[in-house]
Amino acid sequence: MKPSIEQLESLLALKRYERPEEGYWQDFLGEFHHRQRQQAVANTGIAGLWNRVTSWFADVRPSGWAYGAGLAYATATIALFVIPRGTEVENQPAAPVNYQVVPSPAEPVEQLEQLDLSPETQGSVGEQVF
Amino acid sequence: MFRQSRPPDPDQDLVTRAREGDTRAFDALILKYGDKLYGLVYHMTSHKEDTHDLLQEIFARAYQSLKNFRGNSTFYTWIYQIAVNLTLNFLKKKKRRSGLSLNELDAAAHQDPALIDSTHEANPEQQTHLNELQVKLNEAMQKLSEPHRMVVTMFDIQGMSHGEIAKVLKTSEGTIRSRLHYAHLQLQSALQETWNERF
Repeated sequence: MKPSIEQLESLLALKRYERPEEGYWQDFLGEFHHRQRQQAVANTGIAGLWNRVTSWFADVRPSGWAYGAGLAYATATIALFVIPRGTEVENQPAAPVNYQVVPSPAEPVEQLEQLDLSPETQGSVGEQVF
Repeated sequence: MFRQSRPPDPDQDLVTRAREGDTRAFDALILKYGDKLYGLVYHMTSHKEDTHDLLQEIFARAYQSLKNFRGNSTFYTWIYQIAVNLTLNFLKKKKRRSGLSLNELDAAAHQDPALIDSTHEANPEQQTHLNELQVKLNEAMQKLSEPHRMVVTMFDIQGMSHGEIAKVLKTSEGTIRSRLHYAHLQLQSALQETWNERF
């Protein structure tokens, strides 16, 4: 046989009378004030700033980290589309491996005879004509 | 149409003074709600040292956040919300750290005399039976999920109304009723054997 709901509720209600032992709250208050004073000292200066930053990070819930990561991902994606990129250089198609370079026929060398080496066309060193 | 005005917060004066730096006013608030919050945290953790540390953290958090308390709810509801959030976070961390369930960790807590009522000492035999039932009840409570245990603690043990619990847990009264119904069924089943033997 199961207890009825009323019986169960009565049984649970007995727990209302449970209290911490006598004098507990006086000790509790003493410790509370001691911790507050320590906290106040710890919160001064650079160490205090560091404590506040670390406690802020510690307080961020997993959902907060997830939102943060999602926001960073979205920002990066948007930035990828919005920020203009440089002009793309079209690559030339690569030459096949068996491609052979055929040398073009060499230009005929100008013959000395065809050059005008007469004295009229040649100046003399150091000579100046005014 | 007039909006129904909320009754004034009975702790308004103490809260204002505490916010202005009057530590005695905050001490008065600790003494006023300490027992209730102790009961809430203890029935959730089943561990005295954890309860003590959590209560220190709850009141410290409340003291530091007092400047942000805008009075949208009563101080009582507000500090209860802090206690519920910190306790549930603590239990999650404890599970993660140990890799064990709370039930396995705190098996000894089921025998803790502080969890057993000591107000009915007239009939020793009946008291013994009652103690056995309470031990079984504590075990069954530890087997409930945290949201169900929280609701049973607040409703059946602390005597809060469905509306008050819904405000603290920021959920609907329907959800509270549903959780209570399920938790009661679980507890009834868990007590069945002991109940058969003794009553």
